[in-house]
Amino acid sequence: MIFVPFAIGWIASLVLLALDGTKRWVSWLALAAILGMFAAAVALLVQVADGLEPSLISGGWPGGIGIRLRADWLGVGFAVPVLGIIAAILFIENLRGGLRARIGPALMVLVSLGLTGVFLTADAFNFYVFFELSMGSAFAITALGTRGKHVRVAATFMVTNLLGSVLFLIAVGGLYHATGSLDMPVVAERLGVDPVGPPLVVASLLLAAFLLKLGIFPFHFWVPPVYSETRAPAAALLAGVLANIGSYGLLRFGGEVMPDALQAGRGLLLVIGAATILIGSLLAISRQPVAEILAYSSIAQNGYILVALGIGGRAGFAAAYVYAMVNSIGKALLFTTAGTRGPLLGGAFLVGAMSTAGLPPALGFIGKLALFRAAWEGAEPWLVAWIVGGALLAFLYMFQAFQQRFWMARDEEHSVPAARVAIALFAMVALALGVWPEPLLGTGAQIASLLVGGPR
Amino acid sequence: MNLALALCVAVLFGAGIRLMLDRDLVRIAAGTILVSNAANLFLMSAGTGGPAVGQGQPTSSDPLVQALVLTSLVITFGFTSLLFSILHAIFRAWGTLDSREIDRPG
Repeated sequence: MIFVPFAIGWIASLVLLALDGTKRWVSWLALAAILGMFAAAVALLVQVADGLEPSLISGGWPGGIGIRLRADWLGVGFAVPVLGIIAAILFIENLRGGLRARIGPALMVLVSLGLTGVFLTADAFNFYVFFELSMGSAFAITALGTRGKHVRVAATFMVTNLLGSVLFLIAVGGLYHATGSLDMPVVAERLGVDPVGPPLVVASLLLAAFLLKLGIFPFHFWVPPVYSETRAPAAALLAGVLANIGSYGLLRFGGEVMPDALQAGRGLLLVIGAATILIGSLLAISRQPVAEILAYSSIAQNGYILVALGIGGRAGFAAAYVYAMVNSIGKALLFTTAGTRGPLLGGAFLVGAMSTAGLPPALGFIGKLALFRAAWEGAEPWLVAWIVGGALLAFLYMFQAFQQRFWMARDEEHSVPAARVAIALFAMVALALGVWPEPLLGTGAQIASLLVGGPR
Repeated sequence: MNLALALCVAVLFGAGIRLMLDRDLVRIAAGTILVSNAANLFLMSAGTGGPAVGQGQPTSSDPLVQALVLTSLVITFGFTSLLFSILHAIFRAWGTLDSREIDRPG
């Protein structure tokens, strides 16, 4: 059962690579493939919700030798929303005329495939391979998604993220050397028995690699030029989808594989997260172009995920998941909206802006609430104040962006009505999730009990 | 032998990072190649069956790390060619690969 999304992804990407992606029907075919993977991920979610843990060892090898794929709450909890967001971005782009690049549709399917693999594999090195599959496709999409001289940001993006990948690869080598296994539960068990020496070095490498992906404060420098100089769908893909590798990796490796190291690094995570929120928000306020405001805002918003992880425990992990999802949906919505022109979009942007600022009934309110609860239960009163301050700054810069984008009179060509209606629908879905957040909160609680142990 | 490998990894990594801090995009690309291969070499020496090169207690070296390195070498190669094609696109757009020229404000 678990091989279905992979089978769809591999076959579809091979077929699409042979086709001419500049034709519109090829883009629609890619969307169909991604929706198929989404449906397969939902089927896995249903199985996991029934208490099963679908898994598969590649090549029919006995356990402990072959590469193991497995679906658990953390995996499907990321896979389903992420595939849904990719489908939404591609749908809107198709309505606007398709990707207009020969290998564009195939790359979108490969990104989806890589991310599905990242979320469903139980093998640390396999995680690296799938992670590089999605990053490699993202590098190509970024290069294709820039016009003329802007192509320079593709090199910035690629070089910084390659460095992150190298750090991750070294960490995987370290894990293998220390434990003699690459299977994540086995690694976690062996590290738990004898948590001395290498684990902290490995954990710092992992932390640096994932912070670089997420664009957290000391590693945030690559984010603004890349997000603001690529075209809207590529930026939406980077901010709304690929950043999830970072948050997922931190939850998986920090929460499941190296809980002792995460516990030891709590203070560091809190300080870096809090600094990221402040720096990202202040820089966002000082910027003029909407795309740059959004880029700095993504930096600041990812800081909250780090703070939630730093708080840790049941409430902290649940909040980190909920916040990561809320932020992905919000950023995908904002970047696609900012790249489109015409009526109906003001409302959609407002939904995204309210979500970023954490105002009800938008989705972001749920994320902030979960974080608030976690901070309160974790007895960190200064964090509660910090989060409120961050939300106020977010309100300020998102309002500036809204004003800049929608209140200033300008003559411009409107985008296709169908695309605008689709964006409005996307915003409605985000609102609906804000009004009925039970699926997100429930999944967050399940993930927390998976990582912390014990019943819900 | 382990010390030699460790030194080799360190020198490759250091030289790679030094090149990545350069202004010239081609040197930056060369730096990423060195850094990636430093990681591959590290992976090679991370095997648990014994040292990858030279004499050690076990009679065979760890086959798993060799499979891992083979995989990551292919990935490194693919990314290197992708990076150079991006550099080519930058050169066509800007007429230079000096990041001082490219990032000059205005």
